[in-house]
Amino acid sequence: MTSRVFIPHLGGRFLVAPLCLAMAVVFFGGAAPEFLSLGNLQNIATQMWLLALLSIGQMFAIASRGFDISVGATAALASTAAALGANAFGLPGLLAGPIAGLAVGTLNGALVGVAGIQPIVATLGTLIAVRGIALLLTDDGQVVPLVDAAAAARMSFNPVLGLPLAYWAAILLVCLAALILNRSVIGRRIVMLGSNPEAVRLVGIGYARTQIRAYQLCSLYAGFAGVLLTLRAGTGLPTEGAGMELQAIAAAVIGGTALSGGVARVVPVVLGAAFIQALLTGLNLQGVSPFVAQIAVGLVIIGSGLLEYAIRHFFPVEHRSWT
Amino acid sequence: MTALAIRMARQVRDRINMPASFFVAIALFALFALTVPRFATSGNAENVLRVASILCVVACGQAIVLILGGIEFSFGSSVALASIVTVLVVPDYGVMGGFAAGAAVVLLIGVLNGALIARFHLPPFIVTLGMLMAVAGLAATLAGGLPIDAPPSEAFSWPARGRVLGVPVPVIAAGASVGTLFLVLAYSTIGRLWYLVGANPEAARLSGIRVRTTIFLGYLAASAFCALAAIILTSRVGSGQPSLAPNLPFETIAACAIGGIPLAGGQGRASQVLCGVLIIAMMNNAVVLLNFPVAYQQLMIGAVILGSVLLQKSSGSIGVLWRSSVPKRGGR
Repeated sequence: MTSRVFIPHLGGRFLVAPLCLAMAVVFFGGAAPEFLSLGNLQNIATQMWLLALLSIGQMFAIASRGFDISVGATAALASTAAALGANAFGLPGLLAGPIAGLAVGTLNGALVGVAGIQPIVATLGTLIAVRGIALLLTDDGQVVPLVDAAAAARMSFNPVLGLPLAYWAAILLVCLAALILNRSVIGRRIVMLGSNPEAVRLVGIGYARTQIRAYQLCSLYAGFAGVLLTLRAGTGLPTEGAGMELQAIAAAVIGGTALSGGVARVVPVVLGAAFIQALLTGLNLQGVSPFVAQIAVGLVIIGSGLLEYAIRHFFPVEHRSWT
Repeated sequence: MTALAIRMARQVRDRINMPASFFVAIALFALFALTVPRFATSGNAENVLRVASILCVVACGQAIVLILGGIEFSFGSSVALASIVTVLVVPDYGVMGGFAAGAAVVLLIGVLNGALIARFHLPPFIVTLGMLMAVAGLAATLAGGLPIDAPPSEAFSWPARGRVLGVPVPVIAAGASVGTLFLVLAYSTIGRLWYLVGANPEAARLSGIRVRTTIFLGYLAASAFCALAAIILTSRVGSGQPSLAPNLPFETIAACAIGGIPLAGGQGRASQVLCGVLIIAMMNNAVVLLNFPVAYQQLMIGAVILGSVLLQKSSGSIGVLWRSSVPKRGGR
């Protein structure tokens, strides 16, 4: 019987993120003891959820054998929409963020699934167009201050049971993602689509519909990330999020999501996001310039690829006999 | 009469065999010429070509990588690093030394990419994305986050502003790049190997082709095109810029895709690169001439990228019509 927790023929793929995180904690903890202070760890534990939400969304897209480079722009648009919505309708208006995300995701999914455009070109087109829409909504990129900034600050900075409400919501969304991926029909179909698109066609599962759902989930989570961004900053940020898509892809890959599709798990992806956040915070504490931190993130992405190579090399897929 | 017309049409088709994007480019040109004031003037045409030339040179490199079934993101920051290295080297070793150093940096990044992708069989996506970020960080660190001005000189600005027989140097470079790409892809051994490896690496390996070397040389050739573009770009801005052309990789991928090169590998021609680049350049130029707000410009560029790819995807594409309307030679 195959364990659901550790799948041997996938090798240590899902162990990469926890190991990286542990290594980062040991390394930075050794180099600067204040890295391990409660305040700093809490800091990382709150900062990471923005990236975690984006990475989870990215994970759905990658699991379906695509990817989405528009998540940063989508988060910025959602942040703007959430701020505009909250100013018009009060706190429920924040939902305009995820709705905007869903709309972008539907477009991405239709372009990839129905029109058959390669994901990178489709999401590149929407990336540029979505940035344009965000500028259009905000009079060429002016930030949108929340009218009720105090409520937003309460939600994102006042701890309830150790964490501010907004971050509990993020954790809830991550749990929901795990349920969707592992337990729901659509989640399993997305994974199936990624592992064998032809089979999805042959067994009569709606190919285009599944593809659309994958991108909808991706952009929906980017939309939630946008709301988090708005709550944290107290303003809608129409030009934020450049470069976030790369970090999200990095976190998803470090979290064991296979770029060839069909292999994904939520918790390692969150740990991958935590690792990148720990790396950035740790380097910052060392007084390293953000540019050098950028070099580190780049090398980590290449390193994660090399690790995947090592896993493939030392645990070839054929060696399943010991399962 | 009709027989003669069909025969002539067939001959024309066999001679030029243009990609579908060629007709998109023509249609777009006609549309803009009719609707956009001052679009179809010779001064503006030179402007379009001058702006398109850098994109064109880099897109030639991207095309090779796409034919190999790969993808290359690191162009975006390697041109930035090259510009900074060039400006840092110029005071000590002269303009030629500076450009040589800048080009060498780009080639070195190409060697690294090629080695990682070919030797360790890593996904090109991951390698070049990581390289994009790492090199961007390196460029910003070297420059201290701010642009560095180059000592202005005639020689330094020649690659961007010079003319040979009245033709701007960047346009000559772009033409030479497309020409070289055409010759290499169509007539050289390595060009044919790139198609083979891109279409089916396993089959290529089984038929005795050295797949790793072929892939490595592909990324090296791509970085050579990028090095040429880096020289022109550095000369144009006259300084070392840590964020010189962040969208370059995306624009080149879009140009190739609009031209009709599938990202799956194994296909692609130089004429497609040229058409894709011209479509993007004309569009960028038209939105500026129309003096739209930035927001509308971005919306329109995004829409045209998607629209022109969609147009070629749709089964009733102009290219298909063109081919099916002319009976095949010999018939059945």
